[in-house]
Amino acid sequence: MNFDPSEEQRLLADAVGKLLEAHAAVPRDPGKVWRDYADLGLLALPFPSQLGGLGGGPETIMLVMEAYGRSLADAPYLQSILLAGRVLALAGAAESLAPLLSGERRAALCLYEPGARYRWDTPTSSATRTQQGWTVRGHKLAVLDAPGVDMLLWPAATADGLGLFLVPVRTPGLTLDARPTPDGRPAADVQLADITLPADAAICPPGQSRAILAEAIDGATAALCSEAIGAMEALLAITIDYLGVRHQFGAALGSFQALQHRAADMLVAIEQARSITIFAISRLDAPAGQRHVAVAAAKALVNRSARFVGSEAIQLHGGMGLAAEYPAGRYFQRLTVIETLLGDTEHLLSEVERGGGLAI
Amino acid sequence: MDLTFTEDEHHFRAEARAYLLDKVPARIREAVYEEKPLPRAWMVEAQQILNAAGYAVPHWPVAWGGRDWSAVKRAILAEEIDRCAVPKPLAFNVALVGPVIAAFGSEAQRRRFLAPIANLDLWFCQGFSEPEAGSDLAALKTSAVRDGDVYRVSGQKIWTTYAHEADWIFCLVRTDAGGRKQQGISFLLIDMASPGITVRPIATIDGYHHVNEVYFDGVAVPAENLVGEEGRGWDYAKYLLGQERTSMGNVGFSRRRLDRVRALAAETAGEHRQLIDDPAFRRRLTLAEIELKALEILQMRVVASAGDPAVGADPKTSILKIKGGEMLQLAAALLLDTLGPEALTAGVAATGDNADFQGLDARSALLSAYFSSRKYSIFGGSSEIQRTILAKTVLGLGRQA
Repeated sequence: MNFDPSEEQRLLADAVGKLLEAHAAVPRDPGKVWRDYADLGLLALPFPSQLGGLGGGPETIMLVMEAYGRSLADAPYLQSILLAGRVLALAGAAESLAPLLSGERRAALCLYEPGARYRWDTPTSSATRTQQGWTVRGHKLAVLDAPGVDMLLWPAATADGLGLFLVPVRTPGLTLDARPTPDGRPAADVQLADITLPADAAICPPGQSRAILAEAIDGATAALCSEAIGAMEALLAITIDYLGVRHQFGAALGSFQALQHRAADMLVAIEQARSITIFAISRLDAPAGQRHVAVAAAKALVNRSARFVGSEAIQLHGGMGLAAEYPAGRYFQRLTVIETLLGDTEHLLSEVERGGGLAI
Repeated sequence: MDLTFTEDEHHFRAEARAYLLDKVPARIREAVYEEKPLPRAWMVEAQQILNAAGYAVPHWPVAWGGRDWSAVKRAILAEEIDRCAVPKPLAFNVALVGPVIAAFGSEAQRRRFLAPIANLDLWFCQGFSEPEAGSDLAALKTSAVRDGDVYRVSGQKIWTTYAHEADWIFCLVRTDAGGRKQQGISFLLIDMASPGITVRPIATIDGYHHVNEVYFDGVAVPAENLVGEEGRGWDYAKYLLGQERTSMGNVGFSRRRLDRVRALAAETAGEHRQLIDDPAFRRRLTLAEIELKALEILQMRVVASAGDPAVGADPKTSILKIKGGEMLQLAAALLLDTLGPEALTAGVAATGDNADFQGLDARSALLSAYFSSRKYSIFGGSSEIQRTILAKTVLGLGRQA
């Protein structure tokens, strides 16, 4: 075992950290931000070289996503690269993947439907074959980044099982109800009213869709855990700074033991979260069942840590924690979004139990 | 980065497990699994089996019986010893006094003590805590006054685990009462058979005898039993506390307890079904297993980054200490909750030290483990002390801005 990044990984992490900090310091046009990601190689990073990628492993993605979380970045990296891109790569849809890697296009995976909570594999969305191709109808909720992307990946029931469709957002009959996330990012509920798609919109055989989606979602979930760790680390650092400079009763807040111990418990929670995330990443190559249990276990614990660290940070800041222009509250908002994205705590704990638990 | 165990490490684990299960008698492993207090002779027997394979003191200098194994391998071994329900090597011997003698003792002391310490031919107990010196250890008062070739030791130690079984005690004593309280402390090895030592048992809520008070009344200790230099005992104590950390999280022990919770909950009928199928109980177990998996990785992270022990402990070991104690307590609470009404008749009969397992059976030993586990957040630097270390050392809180 060796938990130290290689020289190459360290250099990349430094470069990503600097770029994302620069983005955070001065608001920029999203198109420019995405070109910066492409120039640094981040868009091609997770894909194998035969698909035009750089072959970065999940440990490298972990470092990128920690930097992403630390700087509260908001480019659609998780959606367009780690979810949609990964699905296309696993499905062997090289032609559709290429413009995502180059940054020309962006895509988002639509997972949730009304009343189905986190169950994505039994959609009520449906697709029927026609002479020209497909007719697809359905309703997806809470699609992060949907308002800014070019294409949606849409799971739908077909006569042969779960299908997966590539839907251009400008397709007639597609309506997009944009709603911001609680941390101010774009998202939308999307409806398809019997839209017509060409035959090649179905991007993988029905028998494979479920396994491909599950693999992509597990990988992205592990990456999301790393984003949370980066955000929690930054939030703890901000909180420690505040405890050092804020004086009450003639002393820095950080000199009071009651507050010192709360800060120590935040550190403990972050280190536990980091450890279980490392475990999940080490299991991403395992058979699907074990992989999923490890990832679900990781995000469940990360979710709990995120809620604890976020709410403690606000409490230690006092009223300042509630001020919108102060960063602590923004990190808390981000952590809250992460908590509910790709599985909340109770859902994930149920997944761990359905998979037989972690006792091995 | 290599986030998984190597082939070599997997092989090492399998080899250790096979040896432990083959060589350590089942009667000993069953008693440990059921958390019964072991007879002294069984603990000696088990440690000698470990020592024969180099498993008792692998972290010691090679010249004194240590093995040149990586810290990761030593952590794997510590986990396996616990998971296989083999008694751990006596910590006072192998983790505490041994490394101090190896590092600071005279050549004569090393030759006299180290091999018997490793093999548990000599049993050491630890004389640190005093009635007025708990978390504030440096406030200790037990005095040692030089008188020709001996020190005259007077005072009282408390919470001394196994003092009633021990051959020797290593003590922090005050050789100089002036100056800062951390100065003037010395590290002495004292033969428990010396005239003037009285050991009194302390009855504890867990129902078996393990801790004691030790009184010293003008005990003559040969000056040659001073370890290192007079007045530097505090440094040696800090060195000792920065020693072997490969099992600080008690991961294997908690794992064993949670595995037992699963086994017991699967054979216990709850309201309408087995306890393991009760969603609320199952959820508590699931969370505990996840937290423990995280702790297992944290333990390996601390171990894999371990530097020179002379520079003291990685402050992250405080996290291991806090979470490790919490996990053992959580697992013990789950064990208790598998009993239901049977817990009502899990008291310990007043049979005394001489009955088998001090009168504890599988049921009462389980309650005993529950009560006893409160100690994990108290001894060796309470969880509050650990939080203060984290706040000050890692987070830098409390310094003057």
